[in-house]
Amino acid sequence: MHRCGSPVPSSLRPAPSHGGGVSETTFPRPNPRTLADDGDTLRFCSTCAFSQACLDEGMDKRALMDLHVLVQHVGPLQPGTHLFREGDPFEAIAAVRAGTVKTYVVDPDGREHVLGFHLPGEVIGLNGIDGDTYPCNAIAIDTVMLCRFSFPKIAVLATRVPGIQKHLFRLLSRDIGRAALLAGDWSADQRLAAFLVGLSRRLAARGFSATRFALTMPRTDIANYLRLAPETVSRVLRRLQQEGVLAVDRREVELQDRARLEALAAPVLRG
Amino acid sequence: MIATALPDADLLRRYDRPGPRYTSYPTAPQFHSGFGEQALRDAVAASNGDPIPRRLSLYVHVPFCASPCFYCGCNRIITRDKARAEAYLARLYREIDLVAALFDRDREVVQLHFGGGTPNFLDPAQLREVVDTLRAQFHFSARSDLDLSIELDPRFVTPADVAELGAAGFNRASLGVQDFDPEVQAAVNRIQSVEETAAVVEACRAAGMRSVNIDLIYGLPHQTLEGFGATLARVIDIRPDRLAVYGYAHLPELFRPQKQIDAAHLPGPELRLALLQLAIDRLTAAGYVYIGMDHFALPDDELARAQERGGLHRNFMGYTTHADSDLVGLGVSAISHIGDTFSQNPRDLPTWEHALDDGRLPVMRGMRLDEDDQLRADLIQALMCQAEIPVRALERRYAIDFPQYFADALARLQPLVDDGLVTVAPGVIRATSRGRLLLRNIAMCFDRYLNAPHDAPVRFSRAV
Repeated sequence: MHRCGSPVPSSLRPAPSHGGGVSETTFPRPNPRTLADDGDTLRFCSTCAFSQACLDEGMDKRALMDLHVLVQHVGPLQPGTHLFREGDPFEAIAAVRAGTVKTYVVDPDGREHVLGFHLPGEVIGLNGIDGDTYPCNAIAIDTVMLCRFSFPKIAVLATRVPGIQKHLFRLLSRDIGRAALLAGDWSADQRLAAFLVGLSRRLAARGFSATRFALTMPRTDIANYLRLAPETVSRVLRRLQQEGVLAVDRREVELQDRARLEALAAPVLRG
Repeated sequence: MIATALPDADLLRRYDRPGPRYTSYPTAPQFHSGFGEQALRDAVAASNGDPIPRRLSLYVHVPFCASPCFYCGCNRIITRDKARAEAYLARLYREIDLVAALFDRDREVVQLHFGGGTPNFLDPAQLREVVDTLRAQFHFSARSDLDLSIELDPRFVTPADVAELGAAGFNRASLGVQDFDPEVQAAVNRIQSVEETAAVVEACRAAGMRSVNIDLIYGLPHQTLEGFGATLARVIDIRPDRLAVYGYAHLPELFRPQKQIDAAHLPGPELRLALLQLAIDRLTAAGYVYIGMDHFALPDDELARAQERGGLHRNFMGYTTHADSDLVGLGVSAISHIGDTFSQNPRDLPTWEHALDDGRLPVMRGMRLDEDDQLRADLIQALMCQAEIPVRALERRYAIDFPQYFADALARLQPLVDDGLVTVAPGVIRATSRGRLLLRNIAMCFDRYLNAPHDAPVRFSRAV
């Protein structure tokens, strides 16, 4: 969050290590580094989706008072709360600060299609940029906190700060890439491995443990997203568990043989 | 296998104080009426959403008894009117309809247990009908380790009945004996001969049941070392695979039938301890292994083997080899444990019946466990099953610093350490062979509710 050479304020130092060798936080447990740190006029929230873009531009938060005023902290939102629905007028994008947001559409037959899961530090609503309305629904899966950015204002800011524009494009392309990820003709094992490796990387990037995390979404949502039957998701996980690749306890997953999982996921993640 | 040495009498006397039996943590007195039907539905939905949803254990409560045993602290109704069974089953099937529909079809049932009351108040055809109804509504495991068990009162079941139960799929039975001493039997209103008991055990084996358990109770009125010694000798002759030796808890204010027992005839603390000592000595000499919390098993029984490999678990039905499953309680007063919740059906028949007649899930009370509850439940489960607390594993799993988080509990534990009941090493806290009979005293140190001064006092049975 801070430029090289600047002293690290105490609240951003790694939390003191506990006796049990606990050094990383298991998502979604609150982490003083990743959740409680709300930032202030001088510091970004630790999960801020934009801080890196600004810092890349050589701007710290002091130089970004404009951005500060257009950011609105929202939440906590209870599980099941809709952030927006398909057809709502597009006014803002939002960055997840805590929790998990699911985006989905409902087809003419009334069947739900899960588009994605958005974790802390990730941005939702980007696919609304194209039109005047949101093309999908967004719902809080667990307790969610957001930063809401008025889109017209951030668009103006982007013209003044090229880094923000670049970052928006980067986020957009990442969003598209992720959606394309599952279009291929992959096996259930490959899909699930890619899903877990993807989650692990995204959580690690936000300071959570890369090897232990909770699947906050129900298995029906995972299955829907991966285009598998819920029973298949469980069957594959059970087999991977028997093979020592991972361990599952209720919602919590521990990746025990990452290399094996990465190898399984490689063709999907490359595609 | 872990040897069991009885702590000296003086020590046992000091630790002989009331405490929960920890078939659950938190214990039932913490359940509250704010937890209702919707909360249970939400809990089941959430459990279906686990990446690998847990398997299911089913419990069916049959509340009726033909004759009142005076020591009983269970929820039961005394009647000889067999018509009540039919009326009860009609409601039970409604409940099964309502409850089974909540679970995803791939939730595999690995355990079904009938308790009571007296499950064999239902005749074998009725019991088979219940099993078949459950089989039609739930997905029963095809695996060979499916447990289908029933508590039997040997006075009201014939060898022919037992054969029918075996044919219906029952593969485990638990028989109440308590004591064969005639004077004790008269005082507790349960006259039961050695012969009829042995005949039922024999019938269970002939029916192919893979495990038979016998329950004994020490601390009953008029019990003597001679009489209980004779009972132990006869039970050892019958050689059940498993044995439970419970301490009688005289709480007549809580359990009305116990008012029939004259407290003047109860053995004093010295004799209670001597009776327990006698049971441990005789059973271990006869080759039984102490499993923990009143339970013994032959060394080749699955329970003893599971304990050796660390695969022992404990739920409301006692010890089991099945890893954490969600428990679905059916029938009046039955308790469920779904995901991170406990819930209980109404304890009285009319309330349970009315809920079902209205098409509602009959939930009387329950609770959702917070993270602290879950941590302590894990800890107590490990203690009850493995006689040790895996400190490192708990620290890792719950992201705590154990000595700091449990500073109060460790302070309460110190006298037990000083008395040689527990050893505290870095990474693990272990009950010594002396401490294994006092697991609940060790667990009580870690019970948040027991040690919270603001809570109303709750009555529990004595530790020994």
